[in-house]
Amino acid sequence: MLLQQITNGLTIGMIYALIALGYTMVYGILKIVNFAHGDIYMIGSFMGLFFLKEMQFPLYAAFIFSAIVTAILGIMIERFAYRPLRNVDRIVPLISALGVSTLLISVAQLIWGSSMHPFPTTFGSKVYSAGDVTISEIQILILILSCVLMIALQLFVKKTKIGTAMRATSMNLTNAALLGINTNRMISLAFAIGSALAAVAGIMVGIYYNAVYPTMGYMAGINAFTAAVLGGIGHIPGAMLGGVLLGLVEALSGAYISSQYKSVISFAILIIMLLIRPSGLLGKKDINKV
Amino acid sequence: MKRKLSMGLIAILILGVLSACSSNSGQESDTIQIGLAAPLSGTQAQYGQAFKNGAELAVAQINEAGGIDGKQVEIVIQDDKGDSSEAVNVANKFASNKNILGVVGHFNSSATLATAPVYNKNKVVQISPSSSAPAVTDAGEYTYRVITTDAFQADYLATWSQELGYSKVALIYEQSDFGIGLLDIYKQSAAEKNIEIVAAEAYNPGEKDFSTILTKIKGNQPDAIFIGGFYNEAALIAQQAQKLDLSVDFIGVDSLYSEALLELGGEGVDSFKIIGFFYPEGDNEKAKEFSEQFQATYNSKPDTYAAYSYVATSLIIDAIKEKGADRESIKTYLDQVKDYEGATGTLSFDENGDVITVPTKLTIQNGEFVLFE
Repeated sequence: MLLQQITNGLTIGMIYALIALGYTMVYGILKIVNFAHGDIYMIGSFMGLFFLKEMQFPLYAAFIFSAIVTAILGIMIERFAYRPLRNVDRIVPLISALGVSTLLISVAQLIWGSSMHPFPTTFGSKVYSAGDVTISEIQILILILSCVLMIALQLFVKKTKIGTAMRATSMNLTNAALLGINTNRMISLAFAIGSALAAVAGIMVGIYYNAVYPTMGYMAGINAFTAAVLGGIGHIPGAMLGGVLLGLVEALSGAYISSQYKSVISFAILIIMLLIRPSGLLGKKDINKV
Repeated sequence: MKRKLSMGLIAILILGVLSACSSNSGQESDTIQIGLAAPLSGTQAQYGQAFKNGAELAVAQINEAGGIDGKQVEIVIQDDKGDSSEAVNVANKFASNKNILGVVGHFNSSATLATAPVYNKNKVVQISPSSSAPAVTDAGEYTYRVITTDAFQADYLATWSQELGYSKVALIYEQSDFGIGLLDIYKQSAAEKNIEIVAAEAYNPGEKDFSTILTKIKGNQPDAIFIGGFYNEAALIAQQAQKLDLSVDFIGVDSLYSEALLELGGEGVDSFKIIGFFYPEGDNEKAKEFSEQFQATYNSKPDTYAAYSYVATSLIIDAIKEKGADRESIKTYLDQVKDYEGATGTLSFDENGDVITVPTKLTIQNGEFVLFE
């Protein structure tokens, strides 16, 4: 049973990690929490549904096209909801983020209604068993694809020129601009990558639970944000570690302590973490004005 | 100046309200009026709409047949927003309007419980189509309902479990009054029938990930899992059980009985065993008839709540037909009615106004609800 619970925890943890990357990249550069990110994930899931069901695309194409749509959505949100507010008090973009979040949920409800939609794919329900552990096709996809995407992101950020420019931007926006980096483009890129990853996560969750609905971004967003903070917000490997840890903690506390208090336990860990190490597990200790 | 103006406006408003009140409560009406209280806005609006459709169909049918003693029947609809205090306002409006002979409503148990004192004090019969909380039993002698209590259903399900030969049952229930109520009654009843409860796991409404709970339950090897919740979660549970290679029977009460369960659950919900009351594909002629007419009128399939609302409205219409057009005669009729043939089955009322009826045992085969045999 322990191994099975670990598998369950890893699966959902990978999803948290993918979404957490979006929070962490944006925070890393702009120092704002993009509260609409969970809803971008929801839109990604609905786009996947649209491409699979209405357009009859194959699964891989649904992934790619949804990622493109949400990437554009992410760029637009930054352009119209955050960029005009970049030089004002930091509470203002936060309110703007909440507004965007509400807007996205309402639009989704208008288009698709408020009930749950099933995901029209036969992929994913096949299961494999090894000893006590049962793993489904979709779980395997979640584990592998998430790892691949995270490694690719890490390589992109560390090894490429654009990645270096992004890191420079996140270290210091003004200095990066002085060095000739088009920082606005870097910010757009961070939003695009984060949103595309969220779309991939959204489709995988849609298949995993066979359910897509307009308010799905809320809890997922909160959990992923928790994961980002746990790992050290602004820190990319930290978000990955935080996501996986959070998934495992939820699964194991649900299994061995109480299933109805699993969120309580994970949030309690977050609070303790913030008290002991405010910068998160992997975050560097620096003094930040809040 | 400003103050004078606003005082004037207020005075006009008050006068307007007063005159509006007197105009509808004083004189005799030339139609027979029945009240319908339903949540037509807010989060429960979809159920309120079902109520409205069911009730309006019943009224349209009697009017087509010439009304009652030459008088047309009119349904007076008020939105209670699914909110208890708003519901009390609606109840007061209905009770003070002497032309309203009886009321169909309310949707949620809390609204029915909140309004029961108003209806009982004014001796107006209320028939709730959907309030299944056990507390409604003691709400008063003018409060009736056409849905059985959760307690009745959980108990019935335990008996059925015994018939199916289950010796070990696991429970997954919603952390709410509804879920806990089901759990308590089922546990108690199962104990009398020597059914062992091997696990009881709660989830919060809206939970999506049941893999942890199901992995735990898999270790207990139950014969069946009783889901004490609603169809959305039941579909998720079934799907996730499939992915964990957990093959057990699933059982549940009529809160799972919805087309959405089939849509969301896919193959996962095959062979679910569920209690239902409104089943148009069965041998209940009334249900069949209602379903056909509903589809002809609204171009969509009726759900359980539309059927309950239709039955509640029909009961009031039949009462007026048989016993005369006044408030008290509706109560007399309901107390005497026995084996009333309705779209949700054959029903009578006990001394508390609770319905006595026999549920239909349903199961799912090839993505459709069929009678369990």
